[in-house]
Amino acid sequence: MAKVYVVTSGKGGVGKTTITANIGCALASKGEKVCLIDADIGLKNLDITLGLENRIVHTILDVVNKKVAASEALVRHKQLKGLFLLAASQIATKEMLSPEDMKRIVGELYGKFDYILIDSPAGIERGFRNAIASAEKAIVVTTPELPAITDADRVIGLLENAGMVEENIRLIINRFKPQMVKRGDMLTKEDIQENLSIDLLGIIPDSEDVIVATNKGIPVVLNGNQGHGIARVFENIALRIKGELISVEKDLQTEAGKGIIEFFKKLFSRN
Amino acid sequence: MFFGFFRRKKKDRGSRKEAKDRLQAIVAGRRHSVPVREVIPAEVFKNSEQDVVKQIKSYVAERFMVNEENVRVQFEEHNGYVVIITNVVFH
Repeated sequence: MAKVYVVTSGKGGVGKTTITANIGCALASKGEKVCLIDADIGLKNLDITLGLENRIVHTILDVVNKKVAASEALVRHKQLKGLFLLAASQIATKEMLSPEDMKRIVGELYGKFDYILIDSPAGIERGFRNAIASAEKAIVVTTPELPAITDADRVIGLLENAGMVEENIRLIINRFKPQMVKRGDMLTKEDIQENLSIDLLGIIPDSEDVIVATNKGIPVVLNGNQGHGIARVFENIALRIKGELISVEKDLQTEAGKGIIEFFKKLFSRN
Repeated sequence: MFFGFFRRKKKDRGSRKEAKDRLQAIVAGRRHSVPVREVIPAEVFKNSEQDVVKQIKSYVAERFMVNEENVRVQFEEHNGYVVIITNVVFH
């Protein structure tokens, strides 16, 4: 039976889709059978992040309208045989899907996967309600800025109101800049955690590698970076999801020493 | 004046403290929500929901000349308010 997670944030543009894609890839590369569901109807992006945009035949709307079964609408990832995507429709609106529809779809896939990750749209309206309807656990994503943190706080409240217990809601801080924290110009992970009062699942340092990987349609975890830098952080998060106890400090260690490497890279760069 | 210049610079450094204070002020009490059932008794809410769904279905089906089965009406209870969503399927 699958463990069903929703990846949500409240605020848009904090990296939900990139995080969903990379955690999915990291779990699948560790031998887990993973299904990613894009619940961002009308503004789909998960297929693009995974480089699967040209392979989509059926979308979640076809499943809602009972044209195909959920398993028939899935697209298998090119490199990872255990990773599947249920794509969102671009021509539909969030109102065409209901929380009951989402429960039915997840129910159909529940027995076939180890993990189901639902990529929630931004906001706290219908799309969010759909995304959380069938989730047992939530990953709340924020960046270290006030608007994103306060929106994350609102979302945590709504998840709790929907019946999710605090232990099942975990936080990822994305685009963290240790150098700014050192300068006293960015909130620390302790500041954020203290105010949101939920467990930390990971800290993802700001990285240009993510943009380069997205440009190629290859999640950073698969872009030749396995075991290093930012890919290592996603691998740590996947292992924590699987129940391994890995300190979140390890996420920041991937950045330690990068300064000197970058310095020499720039020094010998031809550009 | 020379020393005053450096003192001012030091005072301006680091916006973390300000961000932390603002965050605490914003977050305090923010998660409180008002379930609709605190405003309307559950029984009244349920009966009203059924009546409203029936009336919307009938009205929309007539106006758009479709069968009532093609009109989906859903009630959602959000933080202290109710959202009614209607979908009309033509095919």
